[in-house]
Amino acid sequence: MLASRASTARNLKRVARSFATVVDSAGVKVAALDYNQPTSAVTVLVKAGSRFEPKPGVAHALKNFAFKSTTKRSALGTVRESELYGGVLSASLSREHLALTAEFLRGDEAFFVDLLSSFLTSAKFTRHEFEEYVLPIVESDSITAIADPATRAIELAHALAFRSGLGSSLFASPHNSLTVNDVKSFASSVFTKGNIAVLGTGISQESLSKLVEKSLGHAQPSASAASPASKYHGGETRVEGFGGPQTVFIGFGSSGAPSNELAALAAHLSPQPSVKWSQGLSPLSKSIPEGTSVQTVYLPYSDASLLGLLVQGQTVAGVKEAGKAAVQALKSAAAGGVQDSDLKKAIAKAKFTTASAVDSREGLVSLLGSKLLTGSDASLASALSSFDALTSATVSKSATALLNSKPTYITIGDIQELPHADELGL
Amino acid sequence: MFGPLGLSLAPYVKSSRTLSKWIQPIASWYADASGYRKYGFKYDDLLVEERPDVQRALSRLTPRENYDRAFRLKRASHASVLHAPLSKDQWTKPEEDVRYLRPHVEEVEKEDQERAHWDSLSVTRK
Repeated sequence: MLASRASTARNLKRVARSFATVVDSAGVKVAALDYNQPTSAVTVLVKAGSRFEPKPGVAHALKNFAFKSTTKRSALGTVRESELYGGVLSASLSREHLALTAEFLRGDEAFFVDLLSSFLTSAKFTRHEFEEYVLPIVESDSITAIADPATRAIELAHALAFRSGLGSSLFASPHNSLTVNDVKSFASSVFTKGNIAVLGTGISQESLSKLVEKSLGHAQPSASAASPASKYHGGETRVEGFGGPQTVFIGFGSSGAPSNELAALAAHLSPQPSVKWSQGLSPLSKSIPEGTSVQTVYLPYSDASLLGLLVQGQTVAGVKEAGKAAVQALKSAAAGGVQDSDLKKAIAKAKFTTASAVDSREGLVSLLGSKLLTGSDASLASALSSFDALTSATVSKSATALLNSKPTYITIGDIQELPHADELGL
Repeated sequence: MFGPLGLSLAPYVKSSRTLSKWIQPIASWYADASGYRKYGFKYDDLLVEERPDVQRALSRLTPRENYDRAFRLKRASHASVLHAPLSKDQWTKPEEDVRYLRPHVEEVEKEDQERAHWDSLSVTRK
């Protein structure tokens, strides 16, 4: 009985201190979260997303350069040695951040933190590695991305909505003119202390900050990367698509910090059912014809956000009908059509999406990462409690503001037949 | 074992000042006398290229170096067809005769050794 009581006390303590605290370790922001997972992961987050790149595609090339040879170990050595430890290395790129992640068994953190930081401080960026390993992967990444109409639509939507900065594509063009020197100079400008944050899960704060201090302590101390503030423009484009579903993307953007109203609006419109084989409770879901899908896309960034509806279907007629219904649903939300009961559902859904994202490591990194780098309150509680202040009036007000701006309208597929923006009622 | 990629005493000779002072003139005379410079070659054009590591090293040359190498090979084979060395102004000058390929070959060799090391590594539990 004593033992059980002791464990309850420990659990209580763990719940009370269950979220990451941010510590400045030798100029690098470090946060760690440990709830006794069997494995650990360390993510190095760098403000080196595509919005900061000086030349189109450099960020994409830098992402694929991750874990290549450094002065400490060669590319082969990196792979073989982490295989011996049973670790998994991965790199991912978003418009804001480049994330380098190592997942490993508990106890191997010294090796993997050293591996990650040696890429930041002493990568060699050799020309032959660029040509032999990096460029072919960049090319195949881009070709795969272009072949998928949904990805392509969202890339085009960013380019139209934000033009420069956030508008620059995540993918380098398959026929790019990148050289290794472009990547090298971009890397040396972004791999500086003010630009790096380290996030650990399954590892204690003290040991992580000690390791970071040891290995990243001598990184270049310099200000963080800056990109001009995003401004929303909007526009329309039609692209011929070969194979793949007929795709229409109807998007609206707003500049300024992302607001919870838009997240709630996205949750309200989303026809994604919570139960299998059901239709969902969204105002949209009844009017979507068979064989056509509508997805809400809500992409918040540090100084802008993009909310859109991605309509995909096999037939043009179905896409047109679903597109009309989507625009109608947006308009009725703006006209005050969001009932209080609907709003409660939407808020609960948005809250659950935010909270359950934290269960996965990628979700945690995307939620905490941006807050970590800007130095704002990095806790889940603050992210969730801000939803409670929403009322149906504020949601419909932000929907009206959204509809007043110029829409971003993309069609991919049979451009002779697919509807124009005015035909959908925009 | 022998040939341009084989064992060499050159590093030892270069490390000693007295020895290199004595041997340098002989070496320069020998390099001149071996005659490849009369055909516009650089020494690294003579490396045996029919082996995978040198092929990989060749693929790491810059486009400019690759072009110049192809040009030298073509010019020399033409001279060979004519059974005469090139005219004197086209001979390779000693200061132009740089080892442009050797660093790449050495790097590839090191990579191959490292791969062999990782392939045959025996792991012990700490």
